[in-house]
Amino acid sequence: MELVVAVGLIVFKVALLIAILLLLPLPLTWLERKIAGHMQQRMGPMRVGWHGLLQPVADGVKLLTKEDHIPAEADRFLFKLAPILALAPPFVVFVAVPFGESVSVLGTEITLYVSNMNVALLFVFAVIGIEVYGVIFGGWAANSKYAVLGSLRTCAQMISYEIPMGFAVIGVVMLAQSMSLLDIVRAQANVWNIVYQPVGFFVFFVAGLAESQRIPFDLAEAEGDLGAGFHTEYSGIRFAFFMVSEYAIMLLTSVLAVILFFGGWNGVLVPLPPLVWFVLKVAFFVYVFIWFRFTFPRYRYDQLMAIGWKVLLPLSMANIIITGVAFL
Amino acid sequence: MSRALDRIGTWIGWAFFADLANGLALTFGYMFSKSVTMQYPDKEKWLPYSRYRGHHFLKRDEEGEIKCVACELCARICPCYCIEVIPYEDEKGNRRPAKFEIDMARCLFCGLCEDACPADAIALGQQYEFSSFSSRDLVIGRDDLLGKPGKAMTGGGVVAARLNTEQDVLVETSEPQGYNWWRNIRRT
Repeated sequence: MELVVAVGLIVFKVALLIAILLLLPLPLTWLERKIAGHMQQRMGPMRVGWHGLLQPVADGVKLLTKEDHIPAEADRFLFKLAPILALAPPFVVFVAVPFGESVSVLGTEITLYVSNMNVALLFVFAVIGIEVYGVIFGGWAANSKYAVLGSLRTCAQMISYEIPMGFAVIGVVMLAQSMSLLDIVRAQANVWNIVYQPVGFFVFFVAGLAESQRIPFDLAEAEGDLGAGFHTEYSGIRFAFFMVSEYAIMLLTSVLAVILFFGGWNGVLVPLPPLVWFVLKVAFFVYVFIWFRFTFPRYRYDQLMAIGWKVLLPLSMANIIITGVAFL
Repeated sequence: MSRALDRIGTWIGWAFFADLANGLALTFGYMFSKSVTMQYPDKEKWLPYSRYRGHHFLKRDEEGEIKCVACELCARICPCYCIEVIPYEDEKGNRRPAKFEIDMARCLFCGLCEDACPADAIALGQQYEFSSFSSRDLVIGRDDLLGKPGKAMTGGGVVAARLNTEQDVLVETSEPQGYNWWRNIRRT
């Protein structure tokens, strides 16, 4: 009986997580378009529902009913595989991400995470690395110049930004003496890591921007010079898969930034429920992502590489050394 | 000395991304400013100025007689040949149009017919909402043209979209000089 309850609980949590992650892009696209509109003194979507609230639903219906086109020269197997490969990893990663300690429902303590891995951080970086395969396969299988160029860029970008991102969080691991995300948040109960690790946070955040392929680092789908990169040949539901995956990664980067550097669900000054604090912080970072998108221009390709290898990598190395020395 | 300080200040600003912060502050400020969108078919609509060239109309003189003398000069000068006039002689012996048709689908609203008319009979009025599902419905005859709204008296204001401005109504707007499109846009 105990086993059944435990298994049922895990299944329920996973189902809830998947549902939330699949549905969250709907309000996020609405929010993004609204914020974009108001930053440009437009109104954004206004006509479907109250202030365009139902616009994402209309867009979703449109994407679902559109023709699912596969180019004639495409590698059909890889072409179909790529969106799934891009979609799955961000969902898998959230298994290791904690959203809070625990809540008691009907007298039983329910933890707000699916699993407490002791190498959660390593798991997150390992799995999120798989996502790039979706992009590469998508670009390659479409057999189109723009798509291949886009995915080549993504490939180079991922390699050069995954390294500083990995180095940036080593400082956090040193402070918490653990790679478990739960322990990392617990270690920040009094002082958030951002106080000790401002450089680490800077490197992590910039690399995170690049990782989630957002402006100013969205070279893979630079509309101006590449059409839409690997998105070019995708339509209908497969395109929606890529979009959902992109939003999930944006969310993941925000969640990781909050957990690693901004004290997770630890509140400050105002006593709010831990989960509310967590959601507020994540929402702030999601807003920052959108805000950046409509403020900054895109970096050129060589500038992107220069930032990755000449600025972020030395900075993250120095951060590790200084943290280590201070720790001794 | 001050130049050296300036340069140091610039470098410090560069190191801490002062320029990026400036950009972010600007977009953030704009996010809370009013938008300039005119919600045309839903809420608001724009009143044309008196010089606006919209749908044609034919004028009548004081006795209610049609002013047109069917000289066909408008049909001659029209660059897209969209006016067709057939004259006849009425009871008083005046030359008048038996048929006066304008194909609005072909018209380019240049206003040359208005300039060419010797009798001041045709002009381009203020109506601009006459889209149609069929181009055949856009061929407008003489009697319809006589009933079309004339030149706008005032214009440039923005009024509620449901307001019917067809029948020469004088609309009181809060902006008699016309809507100031720049009022919510920051200029430095």
